[in-house]
Amino acid sequence: MIAGKLKQGSNIISRYGIFIAFIVLCILLSVATPHFLTGQNLLIILRQVSVNGILAIGVTFVIIAGGIDLSLGSVVALTGVVAAGYAHPNTYPLIVPLLIGLFTGVGVGLINGLVITLGKVAPFIVTLGMMTMARGLALVWSDGRPVSNLSPAFNFIGGGDWLYIPVPILLFVLVVVVSYILLNNTTIGRYIYAVGGNEQAAKASGIRVNAVKLFAYIICGGLAALAGIVLASRITTGQPNAGIAYELDAIAAVVIGGTSLMGGRGTVTGTVVGVLIIGIINNGLDLLNVSSYYQQIIKGVIIIGAVLLDRRNAR
Amino acid sequence: MLNRIIFLVCSLILFTACHQQTNSNGEKIPVIGASMLSLQSEFVVNLKDAMGAHAKEKNVELIVNDAQRTAEKQVQQVETFISQKVDAIILNPCEVEASSPAIAKAKAAGIPIINVNSETSATPDGFVGSKDEQAGEIAMEQIAKLLGEKGNVVMIDGYMGQAAQIKRAIGAKNILTKYPDIRILAEQTAEWDRAKAMSLMENWIQSYGNKINAVFAHNDEMGMGALQALEQAKLKDKVIVVSIDAIADALQAVKDGRLDATVFQDAKGQGTGAIDMALQLIKKQPLENNAIFIPFQLVTKENVEGYMKK
Repeated sequence: MIAGKLKQGSNIISRYGIFIAFIVLCILLSVATPHFLTGQNLLIILRQVSVNGILAIGVTFVIIAGGIDLSLGSVVALTGVVAAGYAHPNTYPLIVPLLIGLFTGVGVGLINGLVITLGKVAPFIVTLGMMTMARGLALVWSDGRPVSNLSPAFNFIGGGDWLYIPVPILLFVLVVVVSYILLNNTTIGRYIYAVGGNEQAAKASGIRVNAVKLFAYIICGGLAALAGIVLASRITTGQPNAGIAYELDAIAAVVIGGTSLMGGRGTVTGTVVGVLIIGIINNGLDLLNVSSYYQQIIKGVIIIGAVLLDRRNAR
Repeated sequence: MLNRIIFLVCSLILFTACHQQTNSNGEKIPVIGASMLSLQSEFVVNLKDAMGAHAKEKNVELIVNDAQRTAEKQVQQVETFISQKVDAIILNPCEVEASSPAIAKAKAAGIPIINVNSETSATPDGFVGSKDEQAGEIAMEQIAKLLGEKGNVVMIDGYMGQAAQIKRAIGAKNILTKYPDIRILAEQTAEWDRAKAMSLMENWIQSYGNKINAVFAHNDEMGMGALQALEQAKLKDKVIVVSIDAIADALQAVKDGRLDATVFQDAKGQGTGAIDMALQLIKKQPLENNAIFIPFQLVTKENVEGYMKK
């Protein structure tokens, strides 16, 4: 009887482990500081996580398809400086920097995908190479200096509000909704899971594996570009050294959210929770004025702890 | 085939290494090798440009390497300079301790080496730079003045453990011992990064709100991040923000009356000073002073115009 109850309990923990961890964290922080659970602070957390959130959703596609993308942070910098270069006041209309920035990211994703599929090089290697290449390109493009003096219209993307809600949050929500539909309700979404789960079987059943992978990397590159534009706009400069190690935060969020690094398993909602967990840890520890040395230790413990909880589910 | 390519590449490297340029009079043009902290930092890029321009003026060949914040790489670069037989080496150290072997190696090879911008624990043949403590002192003194010697300050640190972060913090705290009514409310790193500083400031506004009277950021990037967070929270008119470096963005912000002050570090003065000192050492001229300190300067709305062209 008791054993049955316990088993039932542990089932609940394993199925909803990550959601429970999220709620427990929220409760702990609400008790620890009165400044955590306020409407304004929650809005601030959402705005702070939107860049990492957009990146994490993009890399979710790639990881479910059985790949990895380490070039995200560099692509953020590259697309940020490129877009900023066309966003000075009284030069081009807003659509120009946005499109050029997005195309740059899509181009990087396309190259990653082509080398991985046609060149048959491991994604880890290709995107590792792209990580340094894109960083180098960002430095060349900007001559190692921040690209500043941007138009108010461009700065609105990262700093403005629409119906009292900061624009980055709206973009993040839009990305989440579209990605959720893409992965759950479309053929290409099912193919992505199939390719990541068992590539041979997917090929045997007639799925064009290379095209599916290419699609995942292009989505990932495009979303990295969107994140780069939002970040450049938020800090009102294109920074060639922005986004260093952002890929790690994004991948951490995906993994916390229960997506398997082996591919074939994962959800958009999981990634969103993963992103929020990282966000509330950053925010909460700042609110509590925890020393930055301890912050790093605590973050690491929480990442591993969250994944440990989730491992029970995978078994 | 591969062997041949390797041979070709190696001989090419050797050729360029041994190749010595001469000027129109047939005299050998001196070669100076410079290993820079990081060419991803705007200040170091400015320093490099100043050195390059002055080297050109003085008809010196300058080889610039980027150590990418890695002391190990920096030591290797100096070793390469030694095997290239450059006439002098300029070191823009990555770290106080870990870059020191580079000094010992150059000295052992009999090549003059000077440090620019920051110090190592080993003593080089010469030094041109600034005292980072002074930057922290100037910034905090200005904050004390603007606060009327009373209030709460939050401090945004640079990357923890780097010389500039440690010394700027020390300088600021030295000044605060003079003003018992000014208190540091919170101190946290934002790793020199604007986006991180912005998030940090937003979080502080949540926890401390109106209690914050002033912000001291260890560099302008972080100062600008804090400034933007304060402006979004509509608190800027109540909070003083002072930071260090005088980058273009910060100067514009001072001019526009958004940033209260920044502290100018003279990249041009340091770069030309280093080249001049290297030339003196190459010509074996005695140095009147083997440690030249270029002072930091406070930049406020009153004098900002003069810095915008520099």
